[in-house]
Amino acid sequence: MKRIIAFLDERLPLRELETQLKKPLPKHTNWLFSLGSMALFLLLLQVVTGAFLAFYYSPSPDHAYDAVNYITQEVPFGAFVRGLHHWGASAMVVIVFLHLLRVVIYGSYKAPRELTWIVGVVLLLVVLGFGFTGYLLPWDGKAYWATVVGTKVAGMVPLIGETITKILRGGEEIGAVTLTRFYAIHTIWLPFLVFALVGLHLFFVRFYGSSGLPKNTPEEMQAGKPFYPHQVFEDAVAIFILFIVLAGLALFVPVPLEEIANPTDASYDPRPEWYFLFLFQLLTYFEGPLEVMGAFVIPTLVILLLVFLPFLDRRERLSLRKRPVALTITSLSVVLIVILTILGGRSPKLETEPSQATVDQAQESQETQETAPADTGVFDFNIEDGQ
Amino acid sequence: MKRTPENIGQPERRSFLKGGIAFIGGLISFAIGVPLIGFAISPALKKGSKKWVDVGIVDLLKGSRYKKINYTFQSKDGWVEINKKRSVYVTDKGDGDFVVFSRVCTHLNCLVRWNESKGQFLCPCHGGVFDKEGNVVAGPPSRPLERMPLKVEDGVLYVKEA
Repeated sequence: MKRIIAFLDERLPLRELETQLKKPLPKHTNWLFSLGSMALFLLLLQVVTGAFLAFYYSPSPDHAYDAVNYITQEVPFGAFVRGLHHWGASAMVVIVFLHLLRVVIYGSYKAPRELTWIVGVVLLLVVLGFGFTGYLLPWDGKAYWATVVGTKVAGMVPLIGETITKILRGGEEIGAVTLTRFYAIHTIWLPFLVFALVGLHLFFVRFYGSSGLPKNTPEEMQAGKPFYPHQVFEDAVAIFILFIVLAGLALFVPVPLEEIANPTDASYDPRPEWYFLFLFQLLTYFEGPLEVMGAFVIPTLVILLLVFLPFLDRRERLSLRKRPVALTITSLSVVLIVILTILGGRSPKLETEPSQATVDQAQESQETQETAPADTGVFDFNIEDGQ
Repeated sequence: MKRTPENIGQPERRSFLKGGIAFIGGLISFAIGVPLIGFAISPALKKGSKKWVDVGIVDLLKGSRYKKINYTFQSKDGWVEINKKRSVYVTDKGDGDFVVFSRVCTHLNCLVRWNESKGQFLCPCHGGVFDKEGNVVAGPPSRPLERMPLKVEDGVLYVKEA
């Protein structure tokens, strides 16, 4: 072993790696500085569970739903693996959001860490992209309708919106092409992107060093515990607690799988996954010509605001108590997002009137000019079985 | 420019090499990029062929009041021949003067539902409300419900489908 290390040491900058790992942190930090590591753990968890789920999943409207059912019902540990992936996705959104809040609250985005921040904002969008492309895959009611609405929201982009919707859907409507696209984006494109961005993010974090709490004096910035093993141990404890929670959820809370997607469902009330409810709710407030506000203008402004935050707020880092404006804006934004999410979750569902019986197309042949015999006009005729 | 012992390291030589790298890189990117972009977005550019699909027999639909009709028709979904399902409201304004409303909400494509007691179409997503003529009464939608082109032939009601 020693000889192997000696061999590698002669050929690689191992000492440099060791120095990097043991680099001292700022004197004052707290457990909130483990949120980034928790997000990294979740990414690895999603990659591993996702890679295994792909063994059984089949991205086609004919098979997707049954495959997910099969994974959940029949494959040993299938419900657990799917549970981890599902709850891991929700946890990712929560942890990434808290991570962002920590950075905002402590002003960690300020110079010289602007690039770390910008890459982080892009990573947040990638996480949401993972969510959006991921939950179409089970091909149940929620998957289908959330994607109908979500791809249509993209259509609100002025001028090119309709084309964007069609490109996302791979045609006019959600179907086989949409599913393979979303699968490719979810399992190939976004992972490549996320690896590159996380690599960059981590490089910046190492390069500039941990930001620590604002109260660190310049002398204290390098006067704390070494990253390894001290910070890594704290991170490991935080990750362990997170994992216990996720494993508990995966074991005891079944992942929902609704009825298979049905484009004519008479009684379905489309609702997105919880982390898109705030956007869903936002869309209800803008009527008529203003609909572009909720779907495009406001989200774009928020993203731009986030990206350029370090350049808009260039004052030196101070403790939060001395930044009343930042504190107010941040708190209001969080409260607003939480309220919109709750309202979206509670938004009233429509009652289906019992009198509204569905009538199926009342003849055997379509697209032909021949007249069907009158006696095929049975109201409950099931056209799918009939053909 | 020919490489000679004299011109190695000369600025002209260097700019020639830089230009060459950019040219080769650009050419390859272009030659691969254009087909790939076309490959990816082609389904969006394809025009669906409109066709007439029968909804039901006129005699059975006469006197209909916002009757929800589900119908299927053969269509291509990528590489799959499928029975596309669709759902519309058919109403008879008097003696076979039919109106067929698409159920697709003009806001974000959720399916609206006819509410008989209110006499309105309600959208389950963002609270869009349309009156019995399909005009927007409340909520986010900016356009009325689509009235599908229709025709009656040999006692059968057809609508035009994309």
